[in-house]
Amino acid sequence: MTDPADTSSIVLDEVFPHRREIVWKALTSGALIGRWLMEPKGFEAVVGNRFTFQTKPAGEWDGTIRCEVLEVVEGQRLSYAWRGGHESNQGYGSKLETIVTFTLAETEAGTRLRLVHSGFVLPKNDAAYRNMSEGWKKVVERLDTVVAEEASQTLH
Amino acid sequence: MHMTQPETITTVMRALADPTRRAVFERIANADEITVAELTRTSNVTQGAISQHVKTLKQAGLVSERPEGRNVYYRAQPAGLEPLADWMSHYGVFWRERFADLRDLLKEIDP
Repeated sequence: MTDPADTSSIVLDEVFPHRREIVWKALTSGALIGRWLMEPKGFEAVVGNRFTFQTKPAGEWDGTIRCEVLEVVEGQRLSYAWRGGHESNQGYGSKLETIVTFTLAETEAGTRLRLVHSGFVLPKNDAAYRNMSEGWKKVVERLDTVVAEEASQTLH
Repeated sequence: MHMTQPETITTVMRALADPTRRAVFERIANADEITVAELTRTSNVTQGAISQHVKTLKQAGLVSERPEGRNVYYRAQPAGLEPLADWMSHYGVFWRERFADLRDLLKEIDP
């Protein structure tokens, strides 16, 4: 059943009550990126530009996320490769060959920002939620804590 | 492939936020197939309450039903948890936090 090339995406879609140019600036100014995402080293919103983010090391990975700008459509779309991790790591710090894409659209309430972080390879064990095996039961157990935390924050 | 839509996550979250309902879901997940009567027999909640919980789980896409004769058999829907499993991954949490920080930053630079 499990296709080795099976990948998964994280998608966030939120409306920010600000003009598109302002949101675009927050996504493409190195100084501003550093204030909400992480401090980029060498970022320029130019296709082919290579830059890095420094995060916590894990095992044989030094914690550097290597990025490369893939697409820039002024005020509308920004996409970069997001690579890091090491094959010897599981979970945090596992090998990543992913792409981050931001898409901006004007709405009445401001700017709709959609983030797609794509290319996560589903590890065989974590994909256990697809069948009725032990792995899935573990996911259900973890829900107890995660859901409780989230519920206290968002369900009011 | 199910996409990780915020609405879906909220529905799944809401369905599983209730401890009794979560217990019902876990029992359905641990059984191959189970009826409301069977679920009620081993719990201290009324059949009506169990029915309501199962209905909510079904609406959240976490449970499917198979009618047979006079019985309805319920089965956990693995795909229903997929949005949550994605969300639970490191980067799901990471981006949610970053978006919250972005919201704060925008408020600061563009009040």
